[in-house]
Amino acid sequence: MKELRIATSLDEALALVADGYQPVAGGTDLVVAARGGKSELPDHVVAIDRLTELSEIDSSDGGLQIGATVSHARLMRDESVIDGFTALADAAALVGSPATRNVGTIGGNVMNASPAMDTGSPLMVLDSEIVLRSVGGERRVPVSDFWTGPGQTVSQPDELCIAVAMPDLPSESGSAYVRLEYRRAMEIAVVGAGAVVSLNPEGDGRVVGVSLALTAVAPTIIAVGGIADALIGRAIDESALADVAALAGDQASPISDLRASDDYRRHTVGVMARRAVEAASRRAAGASIPVPVNRSVGIGAVT
Amino acid sequence: MTIAETPRFVRADGPDKVTGSGRYTADMQLAGMLAAKFKFAEIAHARIVRLDLSAARQIPGVLAVLTDDDVPDVRYGAGLADRTLFARDVVRYEGEVIAAVAATTKEAAQAAVDAIVVEYEPLPIVDDLEMATADGAVLVHPEWESYRASPGVPRDGNVASHSSVVRGDVDQGLREADIVVTSRYIADGSHAAPIEPRAVVAQWEGDKVTIWTSTQVPFTARDGVCQTLGLPTNRVRVIVPHMGGGFGGKCGFHYEAHIAALARTARRPVKLVFTRREEFIAPDRRRESMIVDLTTGVKSDGTIVARRGQALLDNGAYTADSSFFTQLAVMHLAGPYVIPNVDIGAELIYTNHQPSGSVRAPTAPQATWARESHTDEVAAALGMDPVEFRLLNAVETGKVGPSGQTYDEIGLTECIRKAVAASETAGPLADNEAVGVAIGWWPSIPSPSGAYVKLDGDGAGQIITGAQECGTGSVMTLRQLAADELGMDPEDFQIVHQDTAVAPYDTGATGSQTLFNNGRAVIAAAGQIAEQLRELAADRLEASMADIVLSEGAAHVAGSPDRNVPIAKLARIASYGELLIGHGSGTPPSAPEISGATCAGDAGMAAWVAPQFSCHAARIRIDRDTGVVRVVRVDAVHDSGTIINPIGALGQVEGGVVMGIGQAISEGTVYGADGRQRNPALLEYKLQTAADVPEIHTQFVEIFTPDAGPRGAKGIAEAPNVPTAAAIANAVTKLIGRPVTHLPMTPERVWEAMR
Repeated sequence: MKELRIATSLDEALALVADGYQPVAGGTDLVVAARGGKSELPDHVVAIDRLTELSEIDSSDGGLQIGATVSHARLMRDESVIDGFTALADAAALVGSPATRNVGTIGGNVMNASPAMDTGSPLMVLDSEIVLRSVGGERRVPVSDFWTGPGQTVSQPDELCIAVAMPDLPSESGSAYVRLEYRRAMEIAVVGAGAVVSLNPEGDGRVVGVSLALTAVAPTIIAVGGIADALIGRAIDESALADVAALAGDQASPISDLRASDDYRRHTVGVMARRAVEAASRRAAGASIPVPVNRSVGIGAVT
Repeated sequence: MTIAETPRFVRADGPDKVTGSGRYTADMQLAGMLAAKFKFAEIAHARIVRLDLSAARQIPGVLAVLTDDDVPDVRYGAGLADRTLFARDVVRYEGEVIAAVAATTKEAAQAAVDAIVVEYEPLPIVDDLEMATADGAVLVHPEWESYRASPGVPRDGNVASHSSVVRGDVDQGLREADIVVTSRYIADGSHAAPIEPRAVVAQWEGDKVTIWTSTQVPFTARDGVCQTLGLPTNRVRVIVPHMGGGFGGKCGFHYEAHIAALARTARRPVKLVFTRREEFIAPDRRRESMIVDLTTGVKSDGTIVARRGQALLDNGAYTADSSFFTQLAVMHLAGPYVIPNVDIGAELIYTNHQPSGSVRAPTAPQATWARESHTDEVAAALGMDPVEFRLLNAVETGKVGPSGQTYDEIGLTECIRKAVAASETAGPLADNEAVGVAIGWWPSIPSPSGAYVKLDGDGAGQIITGAQECGTGSVMTLRQLAADELGMDPEDFQIVHQDTAVAPYDTGATGSQTLFNNGRAVIAAAGQIAEQLRELAADRLEASMADIVLSEGAAHVAGSPDRNVPIAKLARIASYGELLIGHGSGTPPSAPEISGATCAGDAGMAAWVAPQFSCHAARIRIDRDTGVVRVVRVDAVHDSGTIINPIGALGQVEGGVVMGIGQAISEGTVYGADGRQRNPALLEYKLQTAADVPEIHTQFVEIFTPDAGPRGAKGIAEAPNVPTAAAIANAVTKLIGRPVTHLPMTPERVWEAMR
């Protein structure tokens, strides 16, 4: 017999999680995996979707703290996300379908730890921390340390993800997420890339800060090492973008599967990386590229 | 015509479906109903060395476990009886049913399925179409000489069917050609992928069984039950509730007998609902994969002089309804072109894959993609515009086609001109855009069909028909035809259909035939009532019967609209005497003669009654960095004869185009080396979504076709699926400079072709 408890307070939820209950909010991973025969529904489940304290987007202390049960639909429309953390809105807007986005949550996405998760690269380049709480207390884990493999994280069984937090970007910064997709809805990233670019406030177009992360080319979302060394002090021109693509392709360790071969992934992740950096730098320079980039530029644009 | 100009018409089943009040087979609940689950082979080719049901039978709640031992010893199949309800000694594909279980809950049924012990001796897998026909190849059906088969079925090695059309002298023609072009194209298999996975409910009352099932062909399903369980047709009643799509995948007899047998053993009603994975792997209705070789010779002025061609079709493990596919494939490799010398053959090859069967326009999208891609290659070799090349060589009124048929008035070249002109109105092409053009053809299929029409005492009408509705539009068009015949409004009629015990025979939603044949039956049935009404009105209005006109709900005297009587009033009079009951069937159109061709393996598909023609122009955009292709606009022009219900016809074209886009760029079955499908799920088998649908502009070239359906109508349901992938392919080739020779033309395959 399966048991579902509906938590009415965070303390109740934490106590149940400590007792071995698996949390569920939107159910877009848990239920779909069970229906698809991938993994059975756990015997003990606690629903956390009614906990209002987990559904807030808070920018009062600087930076942004996003409650674990905030849906993708809210992320793609929330002005504070779109204005300051655009890559996350780009990614949220591409997830599944309107129905998936209405119930799927950022916390569930983070804890499911898929290397193909669209919000992963944005969280990585936005320097996010995952806020974990248990009956015993709270800790924050930088996202760069959080994922350890497909479906694996450093969280302990008694810990509940209650939020993700990210600092404000410097001025003259922009971010973007771009993915390779074979269709325009109900799609999963073949590869993807998220980027943050900060430009010299003096307006000479030179890069003063940059980060880049890649989706679906390794067992986890990965940050591209050496990207700062490669780009800082340079303008984002064709030669800089070619370097971005090469760096991304070099650091990818993709698999061959039904969606793509390793060769094709290695090539296209470079394409996505240069597009993400280009879009982020244009946004940093003040250009308006509506969310998501995939529907604003290129052949995926809505016409 | 555009949507805005078409008359509005509310589908009779529309409000039910939109509001959720409609009931599908899976929604049915009957008192005491059990859940069914199947034990599938889950291995592509193996001998069963042990099958132990004892543990399964011990699971609490299990009321029936059936295998081959529990049903009559019957081998069945449309043209070739190669199939049994349950696996017998050998399994030949992963989705073959070994056992069926009925239990009080679906969890108990699944537990019982899991408790069935099967031990196999694996057999070599036959999955390569060329190796399967080589000497010494492993045979999928070593004992098949003992199977019952239609005349002409070869039963030779792994070749389940072959056809060829030979006309003129191809060797001589190729020698006389100035340019000869040879191509090879390979198409993966694909799926009908209806959103509703199939469901079956069976309930016995005494020695009669009622079966509710999501089938496109209720009478075929009934006949399958009768054949396999040994029952007369009047003890098997098949009813189809609302259907959630078929696209050909629900043609044929599938699991109705399994569920009826379970219900009889368990003495309780039983329901089967497939999972999505089961819907992908089990039914014998997959679009066949195909290898196509074409060689065409042309004169330097652009005229085609000869074509040699061969297609190998993947039959899968059993033949389903695919025996005639070889002849269809031959016709599509020839295409609607004037070619004096042809030698084109096709073979249907047994493999250990899921059986192929009728999916919307079987063989046509793949074969047309290959032929039309080849056609653009030939035009390029000539240095000729591909549209001009088609206009020069296409069949037209009075010309003789590749199988020797002379065409009456047809509109193919007009379709080409209109599609190209319409696509040019979309403005100049960007440098990552191109327009590809392809033509297609498809037969209309005459068959027997029947209907009753009655008017009750209040004047309300009822059409009782064998026709099936899975999107055919019968719920609109049949009412329209009856209403026109009787001078009434379509809304005055309700339809009772999809019930084999109530309605006369119809072939079902297959072969684009519903309006083509059942329309004739409904007109004939309504015509009998019209005669009765005229007689009643003549008597009442003191006029000659010949002068009575039925219109706007009344009978009036010609030329004197004031001398009239409402039809409702006549119906009331009739309800006290001779009732208003009509029945109709009519005579199907006959096949035209062909001359000058030798047709080996003739399945009657070389001479086409009321052939339909089409031209699609697809405007695409390419991402040159990734190979991703997006279709932005399709101009579709069809000669389907007279269009009776424009809104229904537009829906058919738009749906067919979208299905064609999927086949072109995203839909394909991927098989592993173990002979099993690797993508039997909707995330990895990529249908097009609503967000991917381009602008679709449809025009009809309406030519009254005498030897055709009602009012000169031809079919329309399959034709729009025929040339779409081909048009997209020709646009891709323009952009990347060479054809992508593997369907679907996925981004990675496009990228590989660009490298």
